[in-house]
Amino acid sequence: MSKTVPPEPATREEIAVLAKNAGLNLTPELFEELVEAYSHVEPTLMRLRRGRDRADEPAHVFDPRKFMPVQV
Amino acid sequence: MSAIEDAPRIADTLLDCSVLEMGRLMREGTISAEDLAQACLDRIERHDGALNSFITVTKERALDQAAVATRELANGIDRGPFHGIPFALKDNVDTAGILSSSHSKIFEQRLPQESATVATKLEAAGGVLIGKTSTFEFAIGGPSWDLPWPPARNPWNPDYLPGGSSSGSGAAVGARFVPAAIGTDTGGSIRWPAAMCGISGLKPTYGRVSRRGVHPNTFSLDHCGPMTRSVEDCAVMLGACAGHDPRDPGSIDEPVPDYLAALTGSVKDLRIGLVRHWYEDEATEEVVDAVDAAVAVLRGLGASVETVTLDPLRDYVDAKTAISTAELFSVHEQDMRERPQDFGKLLRSRVMVGALVRAEDYVQAMRWRAELTTRTMALFGRFDLLVTAGWMAPADPAEPDGFDFFKKRQLATMPFSLTGMPALNIPCGFSSKGLPLSLQIGGRPFDEATVLRVGDAYQRATDWHLAKPALS
Repeated sequence: MSKTVPPEPATREEIAVLAKNAGLNLTPELFEELVEAYSHVEPTLMRLRRGRDRADEPAHVFDPRKFMPVQV
Repeated sequence: MSAIEDAPRIADTLLDCSVLEMGRLMREGTISAEDLAQACLDRIERHDGALNSFITVTKERALDQAAVATRELANGIDRGPFHGIPFALKDNVDTAGILSSSHSKIFEQRLPQESATVATKLEAAGGVLIGKTSTFEFAIGGPSWDLPWPPARNPWNPDYLPGGSSSGSGAAVGARFVPAAIGTDTGGSIRWPAAMCGISGLKPTYGRVSRRGVHPNTFSLDHCGPMTRSVEDCAVMLGACAGHDPRDPGSIDEPVPDYLAALTGSVKDLRIGLVRHWYEDEATEEVVDAVDAAVAVLRGLGASVETVTLDPLRDYVDAKTAISTAELFSVHEQDMRERPQDFGKLLRSRVMVGALVRAEDYVQAMRWRAELTTRTMALFGRFDLLVTAGWMAPADPAEPDGFDFFKKRQLATMPFSLTGMPALNIPCGFSSKGLPLSLQIGGRPFDEATVLRVGDAYQRATDWHLAKPALS
């Protein structure tokens, strides 16, 4: 299983693009907060296990009965 | 000393009682529910100025509810062991007509129309709501000094923090303002403050206690559960609030057993897996020693304990962090785009970074969660329970610039969050500075009864949970 995607830390310019694509219109001060926070979270994302068997399911179960109207 | 001068001491003695003792005193007519509620209110009035554990104290309502409880008990209407018991709710739990702020400027004036299921169930069990407790902002951003209310302080030493995010609930129970409080837990937010405040805190199985009306943090990881001084009290409160709620899509329809009946005091037939590698190199030496000593007590009581190896702690933390970061942004994205300045800085940092997590990262983290959970559950073929450290270090100093969440030690609570297993933190010692240390006990899904049984047996053999902080 590969572990490092993306292989390189994002540059400030790339973070700015990602933030813009997410609809965040940040002041310079808030952008600095984002860069700092992402420097801590990005290594976590890089360590995520990837390259799994195609059929490996996520820890997610959808039970449609849960969304039936509730009699209160 | 006159009787009047001595009244606070007598009332405080009342608050030293267990929930079952309080119930017995009320049923035999020695005290009333109003006496209990008033004792809580007086103690909060005297001491909470130093601890900031409450955002709202519901004095009038509490006394009204207590009067009803007293009348009902006198008339033979007995709602069970939580009847007449004072409790608090974390402020991310909705209460109809009562401020439910999540400790945030965003919700500074928010008065919900309807109460959360957990609040309704506790009141239906006869509980007396004393107030709403402080939290990290939206149960994740904290401790913060840039919010409308100050962060809670540790009852063992107000120069230290009580952990979080259920910080006010932990401080209020530790300070004996209330015998029971509700906390919420996504990665350890019941168990961390329980550890720091020297109390017992149970994160039940995912789906065991309804989260309807509790402000979401991470949908797939959010839990709600009891925080009390003793495990026995935990069993009482869990019995009053557990159960299926069709209005919570995460709720699971499983029978609720009699948790008090499970507290046999015996651990002789139990097989315990000790996950030592999660804490032996990560925790402080005092924590390692205290947890090892607690395990020796369980062995001495007759439990079979064997050291086991699971995936590295960091794997659980990474998967949980990726999932939480993505889900958290989805909860707050509109406010993050429209009014980011209204968040505290710590929460804002943790929310906005979620905008950068790709959908593929989230799904891969959920696939990793499935793998880690499957391997963890496999151990229950050989063991009834897992034990490890409750937290890696004693409380942090309460300094505005002295706490960096991203640089904290690895969280021993997160494997049990990711896998949805029930997990209980109980006090198991004190640091050299007099701050509490904690043991964590995890169990099979929906087997809170066995988790509580072991915690209770440990507390019958030790007295860490009976220690009382000296409030100024």
